[in-house]
Amino acid sequence: MTKREARALASDRREHLRRRARRIRRSVAAVTAALFTTVFLVVYVQLASGHDPALSASSKARQTSVSHKSTGSTSTSKSTSGEASGKSTSGEASGSSATGGSSETGSAESSATESGSTESSATESGSAESSSDADETSATESGSGESGGGESSSAGSGSEGSSSSEPSSVTTSQS
Amino acid sequence: MSALTATIATAVGPHLYWITSRAAGTAALLLSSVSVCVGLSIGSRLARGRLGELRIAHEALSLATIATLLVHVFTLLGDGFLHPSVAALTLPFVSGYETLWTTIGVVAFWAMLALGLSYYARGRIGAQRWRMLHRFTALAWVLGLAHSLGEGTDAGQAWFLVMVAIVALPALVLLLGRWIKRSSTPGVQAGAVRASTVGPAR
Repeated sequence: MTKREARALASDRREHLRRRARRIRRSVAAVTAALFTTVFLVVYVQLASGHDPALSASSKARQTSVSHKSTGSTSTSKSTSGEASGKSTSGEASGSSATGGSSETGSAESSATESGSTESSATESGSAESSSDADETSATESGSGESGGGESSSAGSGSEGSSSSEPSSVTTSQS
Repeated sequence: MSALTATIATAVGPHLYWITSRAAGTAALLLSSVSVCVGLSIGSRLARGRLGELRIAHEALSLATIATLLVHVFTLLGDGFLHPSVAALTLPFVSGYETLWTTIGVVAFWAMLALGLSYYARGRIGAQRWRMLHRFTALAWVLGLAHSLGEGTDAGQAWFLVMVAIVALPALVLLLGRWIKRSSTPGVQAGAVRASTVGPAR
């Protein structure tokens, strides 16, 4: 083997190694992109179908408090019924869209409890209205599984910042 | 295709940053687990015939992990609910949300970043010292795993646990095997250090 042939062979081998390295890097990049996209879609579908862990946890907590409310709604209190029930519903909606973990759930729960008191007060002034409100609320909650958490959450996230403050202001005005 | 993208963007809208961060975090965990697996199999000479390819794959996987980690951390800045500050995302004990788990994640992030990129400063650090430092990458990975299982939104989901188990369990087994081997044979460490000074840096 001459010197030139040896050099050609060495450069060939180097080129082959370089190509192999490039191929491995490209495939890792492709796998990364595919992995990211897959997980993104899985999380998105989960969210859209209403099975998102964070959102379903907060909505479950609210459902529980709502059921507690409906069973114990015989309390007597007087207040401005229409407004209060309307705000409490919006407060709950924003609570359901809380996009986080346990701390958000906590705020959602507290807002739901507060709105619970407003709803129970609404029961007094107009039972038909309040029951329809409760129905609407439960329909929204159960419907979020079908119509997409994306929608309900998008409605909520707009008022995310005010989700904790709004119901409390309602309670204050009532008292 | 553009219609699909537009539909997703509209529907995801307010949660785009949050979903992106979650997806990037999961991807980072999976990639780092595979990278640790590959690194441990290189170190324990499990795959002798393909060491060159494995090294390239290990490096590429580490870089991909760092890239997804950066996406995971910095997309959270755009999240409309948490509104985290840069300090909360990058400094331990600053975040008010799940402080312990977030701190573990922050420490794992910095450790991954520093230890992963230290490969390119190997000439300055010295191969032997770098090799010693590089062992702590496994610890950073364990911290990352703890962070994702402790704080991750999807940590209770079956698909997440299955995906993580597929890549993390082999890495844990390899890691435990290596620690047991090291602790049972006291001469191995000195031999490994000697080999590292003589043999290739990685």
